[in-house]
Amino acid sequence: MIATIKAEWRKNRLRPAFLVSSGLLAALTALAYGAQWYQATHPGTGRGNAVVSILTLYPDQFVNNVIGVGFPIGAAFAIVLGALFAGSEYQWGTLKTLLTQHHGRLTTWIGRVVVFEFWMAILTAVLFAAAAVASVIVAGFQGHAISWPAPVDIAKAVGTIWLIFSVNGALGMALGTLFKTSAAALGVGLVYVLALQIIAVRFIDSFNNGAYKWIGDLFDGQNAQALIQSFTSPAFGPSAAPSIGPERAVLVLAAYLAVFLVAAATLIRQRDVT
Amino acid sequence: MDTTNTTIVETHSLTKRYGSGVLAVDSVDMSVRRGEVYGFLGPNGAGKTTTLRMLVGLIRPTSGTATVAGHAPGDPAGLAKIGSLIESPGFYPYLSGRENLRVVANLAGVNHKRVEEILDMVELGSRAGRKFSTYSTGMKQRLGVAAAVLKDPELLILDEPTNGLDPQGMAEMRKLIKDIGQGDRTVMLSSHLLGEVEQICDRVGVISNGHLVKQATVQELLGEKGVTVRAEPSDKASEVLTKMFGPASVVREDGYFHLKTDPSRSMEINRQLTTAGIGVSELRPFERSLEEVFFQLTGEKQGS
Repeated sequence: MIATIKAEWRKNRLRPAFLVSSGLLAALTALAYGAQWYQATHPGTGRGNAVVSILTLYPDQFVNNVIGVGFPIGAAFAIVLGALFAGSEYQWGTLKTLLTQHHGRLTTWIGRVVVFEFWMAILTAVLFAAAAVASVIVAGFQGHAISWPAPVDIAKAVGTIWLIFSVNGALGMALGTLFKTSAAALGVGLVYVLALQIIAVRFIDSFNNGAYKWIGDLFDGQNAQALIQSFTSPAFGPSAAPSIGPERAVLVLAAYLAVFLVAAATLIRQRDVT
Repeated sequence: MDTTNTTIVETHSLTKRYGSGVLAVDSVDMSVRRGEVYGFLGPNGAGKTTTLRMLVGLIRPTSGTATVAGHAPGDPAGLAKIGSLIESPGFYPYLSGRENLRVVANLAGVNHKRVEEILDMVELGSRAGRKFSTYSTGMKQRLGVAAAVLKDPELLILDEPTNGLDPQGMAEMRKLIKDIGQGDRTVMLSSHLLGEVEQICDRVGVISNGHLVKQATVQELLGEKGVTVRAEPSDKASEVLTKMFGPASVVREDGYFHLKTDPSRSMEINRQLTTAGIGVSELRPFERSLEEVFFQLTGEKQGS
């Protein structure tokens, strides 16, 4: 097991897709902070002339600010990475190299999942670090005192983003394994997360005055959004309470993660490598 | 006799039928002996790669059994003893040749010092720092062979290793395979190139339409060597040659005598005939080419 993790890390530590995604997430976060800072200091330039409070951009609010990146933008990144991670092994013919060495298929797969999850943790850390740095810069320029959220709140937010990245990355991996190619996997994955499930949830919720809303609440996107909405602060103004509790959302997302990983493992274990 | 000590690959009625109904491999009974270079010969689409994929556990047989290096195909304990290059070398394009081999070394539990040794062996040492995506076909094939021998395997399975190489690259690859096949290591080499198999292999299995139609040494396949003579007067020549080799070793056909004897006796044959006052107009060694045997076994037409 250790050997497969070492090998996976060796080949993925400098993988362009992960490095570029980390850079893009950091750049997007910095860009978002920059845009919001401009809107906050130039009232009336926000979306729909909305006023952006400068208070939301200071370090004590950085967790509540950055958490919104987790879904759907972060989820889309994770799906693309998962699809590339699994699908390219088929396209490059490297899966047969992996599976004809010293280890069984399941051991090889677990090693791959560990390294992928580690990269999801790195992406999460990059996201929070970029937001923290950006918030410190804003506070510095505005002459605002720097104070941080409670460590437990930071830990909860980091865990939330990591879970959302992991679930969507696992979806990408399962699709990459199913289609044996990255392109189809990331296409289907992105359509599902960004369009299909949103339409499906709205459609289901519209029946019988919401009698079947409980079905819509089973979708992973609904649970990811509910978990993100559970991070609230008066600085961001009034917000509607999510219909799904955070504990339940975590359980549902964890179940999705397990299902996607087991489905991919089953495909890897059972299917011929041609 | 306990065959497990002498055979490293043994299959019984090994069959693969794909979901589409295509019967790729049909009841193959094959045995590869330890220490030999075994050629797996067949036209494109005959079932060579499918058979090799089954041997390394990449695909599961529909029926039949196989034992490879003492284990079932795909068993981690067996995989530890097998090095393979199946179809085309599979490496990460964004990594260098060296880094790719280090990834394989990590998986195979091999020290990284061995990577440098192997890179030198396949003459890639000076170019190992370049990205795999920039490698030529020959370099990619060499890296594939390097990855296959990295764990110093008991059994090396190479699937068409000279595919896509130019004539010089093919000659270099053959030399490399010959060198690798020295000693106790068993090499199983699939190819559709008859000359390649003839030059490198000790024994050959010929597969056609999924069937293993023949398994024998190259010499057995080619049959006995001999000498062809055309001489006049033919009756007197027949008398002299029969006296030299016995009636069973002299076959008269279309004005020629086919003698079952070592071609090294050609000079002696010529001397005996001329001493007896017989005119020799033609005297040459004869040997069936593997190509003739192959086409005869597979039922394919030459030049088609």
